[in-house]
Amino acid sequence: MKPLLSIDAVRTAVQQLPDNGLAAARLAALTRLDADGLPTATHEDWKYTDLTRIVDVSNRWLAAGATTMPVADAAVAAITDQFAASWLVIRNGMVDARSIAKFAQSDVRIDLLSASDKALECDAPLSGLNVALLQDGLAIRIPANIEHAGTVGLLFIDHAAADVGVSQARIVIELEGGSAADFIEYHSSTGDAAHYANTVIELRLADGARCNYVRVQDRQAGHDQTGRLTATLGADSRLQHAAFDLGGNLVRNDLDIKLVGRGSATSFSGLYLAGREQHVDNHTRVDHLVGPTHSEQEYRGIAADAARCVWNGKAVVHRGADGTNARQANHNLLLSAAAEIDAKPELEIYADDVKASHGTTIGELDQGALFYLRTRGLDEAAARCLLMRAFAEKIVVRSPLPAIRQTISEKVAERVAALIVGDAK
Amino acid sequence: MLEIKNLNASIGGSEILRGLSLCVRAGEVHAIMGPNGSGKSTLAQVVAGNDAYVVNSGSLLFDGQDLLALEPEERARRGIFLGFQYPVEIPGVNNAYLLKAAFNARRKHAGLSEIDAFEFLKLAKEKMAMLDMDPKFLNRGVNEGFSGGEKKRNEILQMAILEPRLAVLDETDSGLDIDALRAVANGVNALRGPDRAIILVTHYQRLLDYIEPDFVHVLSDGRIVRSGDKSLAPELEEKGYDWLREAANA
Ligand SMILES: Nc1ncnc2c1ncn2[C@@H]1O[C@H](COP(=O)(O)OP(=O)(O)OP(=O)(O)O)[C@@H](O)[C@H]1O
Ligand SMILES: [Mg+2]
Repeated sequence: MKPLLSIDAVRTAVQQLPDNGLAAARLAALTRLDADGLPTATHEDWKYTDLTRIVDVSNRWLAAGATTMPVADAAVAAITDQFAASWLVIRNGMVDARSIAKFAQSDVRIDLLSASDKALECDAPLSGLNVALLQDGLAIRIPANIEHAGTVGLLFIDHAAADVGVSQARIVIELEGGSAADFIEYHSSTGDAAHYANTVIELRLADGARCNYVRVQDRQAGHDQTGRLTATLGADSRLQHAAFDLGGNLVRNDLDIKLVGRGSATSFSGLYLAGREQHVDNHTRVDHLVGPTHSEQEYRGIAADAARCVWNGKAVVHRGADGTNARQANHNLLLSAAAEIDAKPELEIYADDVKASHGTTIGELDQGALFYLRTRGLDEAAARCLLMRAFAEKIVVRSPLPAIRQTISEKVAERVAALIVGDAK
Repeated sequence: MLEIKNLNASIGGSEILRGLSLCVRAGEVHAIMGPNGSGKSTLAQVVAGNDAYVVNSGSLLFDGQDLLALEPEERARRGIFLGFQYPVEIPGVNNAYLLKAAFNARRKHAGLSEIDAFEFLKLAKEKMAMLDMDPKFLNRGVNEGFSGGEKKRNEILQMAILEPRLAVLDETDSGLDIDALRAVANGVNALRGPDRAIILVTHYQRLLDYIEPDFVHVLSDGRIVRSGDKSLAPELEEKGYDWLREAANA
């Protein structure tokens, strides 16, 4: 059975959106959404994540008039002040025009999606919903051969109080040939009412481009998110990516990387720290379309309380992509009997001369190490905290953007401490 | 200081310690020898509070206080230190961090203020010099990738910094080269004092050439089957354990 998103209500909401350059794309997406519906557990990629809750929040939001709440400047500053970056801000799905203006003098070219001619990717089930209800989005371009365009922050921040909220956001990023830029993608939210945020980011690296990218998701405990990043890598381009899921309620991330140019390489990693009844699902997919190309990933996670974590890592080495390297690893700590972890590596190889490997572990904290630490005078909570941090820190130290590692490390430590005290956040 | 009476303990359903009694007074050094598998490490682990071992009966008092009622960390803070036969590798946990946390946990318990990073580093480097240890070990993960001998030296470093009242050293001499053995002996001898006691679990007379024990005990089949002064050690070296086992079973 399809989760029943009220399509008529979506259509009404689409009609209320600003009549900008996205109008035609929205209607096309709506038609497709109507035909396809949202995925259910029978859909292979969605068997671990039930969207019923998200559909329910969306229907309630649509029924209440599909309104957009303001997000306080202070909430924005609380995030942006922590990182040395130039921030683009999207508040409850609305592009903050002031944040664009700051880039006027920089090497980073920014347009509203409504004013660009970008064809928006609509292939994934939630990408259609994203376009249909999109107010506006951003097109970011780094011109060719810009040695380093600096660090661009992308803040997706939402607020839901009194009424439920839903927001859609989309950013298209293009690094032209030989250019380099760093990105911090940050998801945050405030307010006690239910909220669902759906973001899609399309990242295109032309030949020889280099991109470091860190995503942090630290949403409010009751807030849901689905996020998708598709990346296309041209010849000899490099993408280094790291993702940190610290907060949120129902969270689903899709990272979809296509290595289309010879010599392209990507290294990516993720850390998910889940407690309460959080559900955090990370699906990654790398397509090696030509060879030689390289991909390497390591995800780690901790599931406490009644949390459920999913890691599904797929690597496809297509016919002719000879000389390719694909490595994946996923390590998990399961801290309670009520918690659950699903770890699924998938390697599909149709080429020759391929080096591929995967390793997956699910374990508990090392009792021997715990006892050792306690014999040195550390109480049990401190000892557990130390071991969990050591486990998580492996992802922090391998993430790109060394300048922000300390800040991330502190957030990770805070989250680990919260998991130990039965969860506060 | 430590009074063990009729201790009976098991692990995985098998009874390892069977009616073990031992009394250690402040100022004394006791050596415990005995065949492989006789229960020496079990005794050390039970004293430190490893809950993988079940104490079925008997008592364990430290300064008159029931140790069995205390968590491992509470025992540590009261001054019990276990030097592990197999020190645990803890990748990603910084050695200096652990040393400092351990030191401060003990100070806090004693009602003293915590020491700052600078002062601590000074202390650690002093102790490392005494043990002939390269300061670079401070910045590595706890025992991570350490050689067998390096791990043992690291145990002694922890002991030297924590200055426990009762140190139980489980085969800290095994796998050490001559220089390391001497360094370890220096560390132990420096700790010796009228308020402290040391239990050395060892297989070799060699260590006892450097650290003279007041008593030597033989542990066999979970019990102490013979106690004597330091002259018992060379006797064991010569005759082995079989004659004692036979005597004990007779
Ligand atoms: N989980 C377990 N289940 C059953 N028996 C165990 C378990 N762990 C240890 N033992 C047994 O307990 C006995 C005592 O072990 P212990 O380590 O105390 O010996 P030891 O005297 O220290 O020996 P060594 O000189 O070799 O270090 C051994 O026979 C060992 O096999
Ligand atoms: Mg032993």
